[in-house]
Amino acid sequence: MSSRKPDTDGVSVSLIKGKARHRAPFLFLLPALLVVFAVLIFPIVFSFFVSGFNWPLSEGAGTRKFVGLGNYLALSVDPEFWNSLKLQLGFIFIAIPIELLFGFAAALLLNREFFGARLVRSLLLLPVFFLPILSGMTWRFMLQPRYGPLNALLLKLGAPEITWLGRPVTAYAAIIVQDIWRMWPFMFMLLYAGLTSIPQELNEAAEIDGAGFWLKLRSITIPMLTPTIMTAVLLRIIDALRVFSEVYVMTEGGPGSSTTLFSLYTHRQAFGYQKVGMASAMAIFLLCISIAFALTLVRKNMSLDSLEEKAGGG
Amino acid sequence: MKKAYIALVLALALVAGLSAQTINVLFWDDAYPRTLMERIPEFEKATGIKVNFEILQPPQVFTKTSVSVTKERTDYDLVCVDEGNIPLFASLMLPYDQWAPGKVFKKVDPNTVTPAMLDVAQWDGKLIGLPINGNLYVWMTRKDLVENPKYKADFKAQYGYELTVPQTFQQLLDTGSFFQKNGIVSGGFGPFNGGPAGVFGEAIFMYESYGTHFIEWQGGKPVLVVDKAKAIQGMDVYKKLMAISPKGAETMAHVERQAAFCADPKGVFSQFIWPAQIASYEDPDKSLVAGKILYSAPPAGPFGRYAVRGTWAVNIPTASKNRDAAAEFVYWWASKDIASWLVEKNTVPARTDALTDPKFAKSKPWLAAIAESMKYAAARPRFKEVAQVQDIVKKYWIMGITGQMPTDQATQKIIDETNDVLKKAGY
Repeated sequence: MSSRKPDTDGVSVSLIKGKARHRAPFLFLLPALLVVFAVLIFPIVFSFFVSGFNWPLSEGAGTRKFVGLGNYLALSVDPEFWNSLKLQLGFIFIAIPIELLFGFAAALLLNREFFGARLVRSLLLLPVFFLPILSGMTWRFMLQPRYGPLNALLLKLGAPEITWLGRPVTAYAAIIVQDIWRMWPFMFMLLYAGLTSIPQELNEAAEIDGAGFWLKLRSITIPMLTPTIMTAVLLRIIDALRVFSEVYVMTEGGPGSSTTLFSLYTHRQAFGYQKVGMASAMAIFLLCISIAFALTLVRKNMSLDSLEEKAGGG
Repeated sequence: MKKAYIALVLALALVAGLSAQTINVLFWDDAYPRTLMERIPEFEKATGIKVNFEILQPPQVFTKTSVSVTKERTDYDLVCVDEGNIPLFASLMLPYDQWAPGKVFKKVDPNTVTPAMLDVAQWDGKLIGLPINGNLYVWMTRKDLVENPKYKADFKAQYGYELTVPQTFQQLLDTGSFFQKNGIVSGGFGPFNGGPAGVFGEAIFMYESYGTHFIEWQGGKPVLVVDKAKAIQGMDVYKKLMAISPKGAETMAHVERQAAFCADPKGVFSQFIWPAQIASYEDPDKSLVAGKILYSAPPAGPFGRYAVRGTWAVNIPTASKNRDAAAEFVYWWASKDIASWLVEKNTVPARTDALTDPKFAKSKPWLAAIAESMKYAAARPRFKEVAQVQDIVKKYWIMGITGQMPTDQATQKIIDETNDVLKKAGY
């Protein structure tokens, strides 16, 4: 004999169906969330965990020991740590504005059609495709005092030879110049793409109103390009915070500690001194810096509200 | 029938492939292991043991060994360890007396290794592996310059004594200055200012030559024993040598030194060399001075001659599952036959009988110099935190010798910061 289910059961079924419906989006998202957790969240959490330990790279170097915030405290009194941070930030604040300036100027110049424009634009991008390690090696040999072409040129001009990578100031300048050479086309690439997306009508209307080049630049181009500029700067900052191989092959951090950037010092802690816990603490510190940069740039310059304000103001 | 036959052949091939023993070997990259590779197929044929080898630059060998070898597991059955890192890895390696006897090749008697090198693989009273090459400072001087009658006469007229291979640092300064200041060479001396381990070697070389050790083991721990006045003296002399070095001496590593000595038409007058690199310096395709080099023991300071050692040992990780096969490979590598062949190929193994074989005396003039240098072999201090100390020494040594910091201040910094590292390490 079959019996009909009571009404209360019907309510339960619909409740269950309702809950299942609510769960469905999460179930669909679950694979993606798992991947994000595995490749992004877990390494960060694990690094944070390791940073709480005296964790030698090799078992032969000793045993793992929990030290709490000991590594962070040790870093806070380590002059090499602060020196590397200062050098890294200096690298960013010198190289990136110059790259931005070069990239922007080139984008403005090449944002027009002429014979061979496509070829010129493509060729300009070549340095970006250089492997950083090859770029570092090439610059190292170019700056070599006896055999490098740069010193050969100086000698021909009657100037004295310079040991570019042998002096702290010139070595630091050299790694910055190398980065500018390799990465300014990246800025150009993004800014050129941004420029081409600015509606031509705006410029035409401004021209009818009598606006000249500088006025158009100040009132139309730069405001319209701000999100692109901020994206480019943010990407470059994140990239520059991780710069390693090119500096490693150019100077190995020397002479002295004059080019030991944050990333080089982190590498040295982990693979030279066998202090993985200390290196992890530095990595967490670097992550915090990256997040701070990202939040500052995104919040202040890339929010929809500010864009609308700028568009309205413009 | 044909299908069944093919299947049988494939199955047999698979079984044969699976049953062949394979060992993974981690080599450091220089002419010596690269030369050895030519003969590895012979070993494989003789023993049926397949050798998978990986060859990396020394810093990468260090990193790979650090992460790939533990007490419980290892990716390699045989690793090469630079002598400075023996303390770090000793607890993970099988002592030599526990290596199995060979099945095809006879277990090598450690006493066949040159005494100056045997110490390299010793730690805590045990022999951890086997020293495999005979690397220590040997001095090289341009024969074509030092034997030139005109230069000999001019030098004697100027300095009042015979122009010869420099026997002391003062002679090195005199001869180097003579050739450099007269525009005959680009550099009177070729310094090494590359990686931290190498610069540390140069500092120890000068400290020892001027009468002071740097760090000594006392009461089971490393203690800084450097005599500041003598250390400054050593640094001051090196600073003077820097003044007669080629342009770019501040950053000269092995590549730049070789280019300056061998590829520059003027070249460098005198410098040290690791014997492992002699093959490149004597290769007429790569070197303008092949056959024009005189080899000797390093010049002496007021406290005698010192030749810094930089030898590699081969070690079997305790966790290896192929210990016997790995040992067999070392017995083959360290055998008289292979060692003699390696000498023939201008490389330098650690076996006394191969290095002193009279048949090489004439064709390999550096062997006599190596034997002479071995009398003065000096090790760089060895302890687990040596990498940190090397960085400190490199930083302030280069600042001192290049005039970026007065030598007394640079030496004081080395002392203070090294003490700090030792203190933090709990010694």
